[in-house]
Amino acid sequence: MDEQKKAAFRQGNIVVLLLAVLTIAEFAIAIVNGSTVFLFIIALIKAAVIVQVFMHVSRLWREESH
Amino acid sequence: MSAYTKAQPGSHHEAHDEDRAHELPYATQVRANRLGLWLFFISEFFLFGALLITRFYLWNVPGVGQTRPELSQELGLITTSILLLSSFFVYRGETAMTFGDRKTFTQSYLLAALLGLLFFVGVVVMEWNLFGLTLNMFGIEWFGHLKPSDGVHGGVFYMMTGMHALHVISGVGLLLIAWNRGRKGMYSVERHWGVEGIALYWHYVDVVWIFFYPALYLIGKAV
Amino acid sequence: MRTLGIIINSAYVRGLIGQAIFTFAGIGLVGGIRSAMGLETNVEPGVVLGAILGVIGFLLFAGVLTDWLKWIAGKKTPLRHGVPEGKPGWSRYLNVDVNHKVIGIQYGYTSILVLLVGGIFALVFRLELAQPGIQLLDAKTYNTLFSAHGIVMIASILLGVGAMTNYLVPLMIGASDMAFPRLNAFSYWVGIPAVVLILSGMVVGGWDTGWVGYPPLSLRAPLGVVLFLMGFYLNGLSSIASSINLLVTVSFMRAKGMTPFRMPIFVWAAVATSLIQFTATQTVGVALTLNVMERVAGLTFFNPTNGGDPVLYQHLFWFYSHPVVYVFVLPGLGIISELLPVFSRKPLFGYKWIALSSLGIAFVGFLVWAHHMFTSGMNDALRIPFMMATMFVAIPTGVKFFSWVATMWEGKLSFETPMLFVLGAISVFLIGGVTGPILGTIPTDLHLHDSYWVVGHFHATMFGGFIFPFFAAIYYWFPKITGRMYKESLGKLHFWLMVPGFWIMSLGQMQIGLLGMRRRIVDYEAVLGVQGTQVLITIAALVIGWSVLIMVYNLVSSARSKEMAVTNPWGSRSPEWQIPYPVPEFNYDVPFEVVGDPYDYGLDGSEYVHTQAAPVPSGD
Repeated sequence: MDEQKKAAFRQGNIVVLLLAVLTIAEFAIAIVNGSTVFLFIIALIKAAVIVQVFMHVSRLWREESH
Repeated sequence: MSAYTKAQPGSHHEAHDEDRAHELPYATQVRANRLGLWLFFISEFFLFGALLITRFYLWNVPGVGQTRPELSQELGLITTSILLLSSFFVYRGETAMTFGDRKTFTQSYLLAALLGLLFFVGVVVMEWNLFGLTLNMFGIEWFGHLKPSDGVHGGVFYMMTGMHALHVISGVGLLLIAWNRGRKGMYSVERHWGVEGIALYWHYVDVVWIFFYPALYLIGKAV
Repeated sequence: MRTLGIIINSAYVRGLIGQAIFTFAGIGLVGGIRSAMGLETNVEPGVVLGAILGVIGFLLFAGVLTDWLKWIAGKKTPLRHGVPEGKPGWSRYLNVDVNHKVIGIQYGYTSILVLLVGGIFALVFRLELAQPGIQLLDAKTYNTLFSAHGIVMIASILLGVGAMTNYLVPLMIGASDMAFPRLNAFSYWVGIPAVVLILSGMVVGGWDTGWVGYPPLSLRAPLGVVLFLMGFYLNGLSSIASSINLLVTVSFMRAKGMTPFRMPIFVWAAVATSLIQFTATQTVGVALTLNVMERVAGLTFFNPTNGGDPVLYQHLFWFYSHPVVYVFVLPGLGIISELLPVFSRKPLFGYKWIALSSLGIAFVGFLVWAHHMFTSGMNDALRIPFMMATMFVAIPTGVKFFSWVATMWEGKLSFETPMLFVLGAISVFLIGGVTGPILGTIPTDLHLHDSYWVVGHFHATMFGGFIFPFFAAIYYWFPKITGRMYKESLGKLHFWLMVPGFWIMSLGQMQIGLLGMRRRIVDYEAVLGVQGTQVLITIAALVIGWSVLIMVYNLVSSARSKEMAVTNPWGSRSPEWQIPYPVPEFNYDVPFEVVGDPYDYGLDGSEYVHTQAAPVPSGD
């Protein structure tokens, strides 16, 4: 139980770090060349990470409740 | 939005009351609530998608390509970071509740709500500059100067941030409701759909901003 | 006296009082702030806030929000079922109730009432059109009436779709209720202030934009257009909530053994409808919101003089408003497929293809919206792809037609009123269908755009796809709902008045359209040579109006009769007909199991639903 809890919290920390890095990358790309495609791809990655980890999208297909 | 207000996480021994004999078992109801909430997100995807299409349609100037209004870049980055951070705390809170750690849950949700409120202030008071202030500190322009009447740039910017801010402020309200109910001990490890549903909603508001932020602040040529 | 008390204290009356109080409070609030700030007099911001608050007031006073408010305050909120204590059973229908059958019936009578209102609007301006020149109405009133006719009928159809899906789907799949009963009640009740907003828009200046509300005309139209746009928006909100509810219900609450391809075919139609409703509706919501904001808050989106683009509105609008015609017709087509095997005593031909063709229509419906915009000045490159996509709609629709014909082929047909309306629906929808490609083809559309041909085509699709099947459904399930049989003779009279009335009206509209009669115009030149047909159309419209009144009389008087109907008058295999009247609060006291295919009529030894033996009471 305690191990699982720690692992879950650690996953959250990793995700928020990743989001921070990607946001700064977005900012940098916008300053350097402003490529719409790059910016869109980064936004997609950020959204996918949140949907997968923070929003537990896989629970939709899971039988038990929690 | 109201979909997840259905399952009332009362204490479990009530589940087999005479009145509730015809209701779905809690586990099934939670699955139903989850699907309903995700369908609501897909529905809202079309709302925000239509606003994004409006932005790319109207801010496209023939011969120039995509444009965007001149905004305070630092302010945009700060508000974005605040919103991402609040999403992180909601994740912490929900995870804590899953493991029965009620104290971390209530603290995290309260903190997330405050950060959400800060984001709301950042957009409505500072970016919209509702009170017509000016402040230049650390080389950062803290209050915006784009007005709603500034052509399509003003119109689309205010519409998109406004629609998002409406979702933010309702999300803040929901987080506070979950915090209040959590304080009263109305959630348990087995029955806390309210906590999960509100977390999902808050993350969704965050996802929307992840697409709005580059569309409003980064993409196109500043004019 | 007690009856009067219950009516005065009903959710409708309380809600309307709440709406009035909150609306005026909102108008007063904004007016006060604006005058305190010394701004120029402009009632519109106040009206917008008043309208929003008014809807909240309605829901609050009607009692729709009570449970959610308790939830916010941190209280427990158990779901309340059954008749409120010490009140007659009929009072449930006048108050907020969470049972899907009650809500379905509420949708139903509201739909018919709103249909009558919209029909009266049509009859009034039809009288004006019977002769060239201006007789009854001035141009402004005429514009308001035809605009209101459009949107009020759409509200009525959406309510009618809600009636059929809410009442039938849980019964057909063996669920005890919808997945979210409170949300279900919300979906219905939010539609009432929506209709009130649209109708009050007619009083405060009306509007002249038609039901489409195109800018820049809508930016200059009288005040009524704001209320129209907001009422439209609320109808959309109601659609979204009820469609999500339905999709979740069908996903999780089907009876044992009811695999997707053993569901009654109407459930498939309801699912396809909901898939359109819960997605596309949001884009029209955006279009309407932008329109209101541009008028009221001075934001720029559509006004070309400020750099906006009116074509954008049309894209956003038709991205919903084309698929929404499939929202109107798919449940109707589902009813046709549902009823034909019962009255033909033969299996439904190509069940799987019918089921999938509903999804096919829903999908293709998303790819054709710009065929409404061939003359709008949009990008020319878009025209050909949208023309092609439009033609593809014929494929899944054709699947349905061939299946219907094959189902009837060599069947033992009987012609009770529901079957007559089904056959009427097929013929009328056929004429509505074949007049469509002429409008979907660019060269002919450039000629016929905004002519009465469009009016004729559209009314044929709506009558064939919704009105006729809806009436068929009302007659067919009337014995299930009330436990009484309607009067067959009056039902047949209704049909034989409505069918010729409709054919004359619709073909007449198409004819004068070809001759150059434009839609949405109060007057026309006598030299156009359409006056004779105009008179015929007006008479036909009056006949249709009377026939609907006959139906209303038939339903009301039959429901009050003493004589009870038999449990399964049509010999249907569907589960809801296997249990006697009245249907229990939670539908099936003994759960059933699906053991066969739904439409095996006339096949020996075939079984669809198998009711388990009643559980033996334990103990003594």
